[in-house]
Amino acid sequence: MTLLVQTLILGLLIGGIYALMSSGFTLVFGVMKIINLAHAAMIVLAAFFTWWVWDLTGIDPLLLGVVATPVMYGFGWVLYKTVIARVHRADHELAMVASFAVAIAASGVMSLVWGTELRAATPSYFNTSLEIGSIVVPHAQLYACGGAVALLLGLYVLLRRTFIGRAIKACAENRDSAELVGINVERTMAQMFAIGAATTGFGGAALSVIYQFFPESHFVWIGRILCVVILGGLGSLAGAALGAAVLGVGETITAIYIDTQWATTVPYILIIAILVLRPQGLLGERMRADGAHA
Amino acid sequence: MIEFRNVCAGYGGGDVLQGLDLRVEDKSITCIVGPNGAGKSTVLRTLSGLLSPRVGEILLDGRALHTLSAAQVLAAGVAQVPQQGGLFGGLSIRDNMLLGGYLVRRQRRELNKRIDELAEVFPIVAERALDKAADLSGGQRRIVEFARALVTEPSVILLDEPTLGLDPKTCATVFETTQQVNALGTTVLMVEQNVRFGLQLADHGVVMERGQVLISQPADVLLGRSDMASMFFGAAPTEPAVDVPGGPA
Ligand SMILES: Nc1ncnc2c1ncn2[C@@H]1O[C@H](COP(=O)(O)OP(=O)(O)OP(=O)(O)O)[C@@H](O)[C@H]1O
Ligand SMILES: [Mg+2]
Repeated sequence: MTLLVQTLILGLLIGGIYALMSSGFTLVFGVMKIINLAHAAMIVLAAFFTWWVWDLTGIDPLLLGVVATPVMYGFGWVLYKTVIARVHRADHELAMVASFAVAIAASGVMSLVWGTELRAATPSYFNTSLEIGSIVVPHAQLYACGGAVALLLGLYVLLRRTFIGRAIKACAENRDSAELVGINVERTMAQMFAIGAATTGFGGAALSVIYQFFPESHFVWIGRILCVVILGGLGSLAGAALGAAVLGVGETITAIYIDTQWATTVPYILIIAILVLRPQGLLGERMRADGAHA
Repeated sequence: MIEFRNVCAGYGGGDVLQGLDLRVEDKSITCIVGPNGAGKSTVLRTLSGLLSPRVGEILLDGRALHTLSAAQVLAAGVAQVPQQGGLFGGLSIRDNMLLGGYLVRRQRRELNKRIDELAEVFPIVAERALDKAADLSGGQRRIVEFARALVTEPSVILLDEPTLGLDPKTCATVFETTQQVNALGTTVLMVEQNVRFGLQLADHGVVMERGQVLISQPADVLLGRSDMASMFFGAAPTEPAVDVPGGPA
């Protein structure tokens, strides 16, 4: 029983981090219908950024996630303006291919700058834990998940309660109508893409503390993200949160009760299972009813 | 006054508007009629800034509108209710109204006050505030679209087929609402497939064909013309006229 509770807690902590990592991806898909395969490369980039600054200065890597957030916002903005928007205008589907090219180029550049060795940020608490009775809660996972959940709530409020969020949804639904109420659609799209990228800032920081990574890690992470959003229903933020919890718990159960090796297959097994059983995703119907939205 | 001077505009595959000249008097209700594809919606789109004219000028009281973005045209006082599906279905009525005031979003207090005022005229705005726009009926949506277009207190309102898909009773509501808005001093430029409905409502009628203005006349004169029937009712089938309050029988 204790082992099960322990497993669920660890799974949900990881799930919280997966949810943040997937939120930007699902937002961009929901609004622009772009499968942004560079999303995980941005997470790895943010991980390198936090690891690198931590290595140089010793500043807490999770706190650096707060700095990485605006940095990745800026990166997302530039990426949107220079590549995504142009390609998207020319051809919808091509944007996915372009984003894959960006991912490969980014991992190449990261290899040149930071090398191809495995990296991990190891702050003082990276292998310490909180013990509640016989349950062990690792500090790193706890802080990372706490930060991720706080940012997700912030994103939810931003999309639900602010004019930026309303404008994003308006553009997703009907560009002409959005223009007619005075929204600058192009600028709003760039903002939306940049917000999606900004979520990789803390996501990357969490990754740098909890996992080892190297430039090509983004291939593994895009697999996990695709699993999360396909599980939850593409474009739905609530769906991403649910899908992330399922994947986190699924992986942890597999790792603890079966074998760590098998845990890496969980995302793919889940993708196949959901595509067979419920292709629209767990919250897929809701996604259709409210379009792109939270 | 709104003035189109020799406007040519299109969507890339040749001009839809072909040297269009048009005048819309202040505080009038002007109704454009014409067969499908004549370019009626395109007139409204070029005016509201969704489409830039290739040639020609569009002036509002002498000020050039054709070089402005849609947001700038709205700020200049011209608001458009688009043809069909103009509300954001996944958003609440309240959020739709707030977006109507997107340009004045920083004056939140005034914006809320303005929405409250409009809710008195259009009660549905308050009654269904938290419902998703997609959950309203077609007629209810039309009313909210009207209300949303009025948030910025425009001096000109553009309506593209306001009665499309509505039952006769709701058409009558649209008729009254348009008169109401006009009585408040707003110029109305509308496009209407239902020729009799549109011309009964309007002061001035404009007939368009192939991207040009064919006839521009007081609406009652146009309505009384004997060649109207052959011009329209033969060429493009229209919905049966509805009994509208205040209109000639
Ligand atoms: N977004 C668009 N892209 C390309 N062509 C368009 C677009 N919108 C309209 N057109 C073309 O422009 C021409 C005029 O269209 P417009 O919508 O202005 O006509 P309309 O008079 O409003 O017709 P209707 O009565 O059917 O609404 C049509 O031939 C149409 O095919
Ligand atoms: Mg039309």
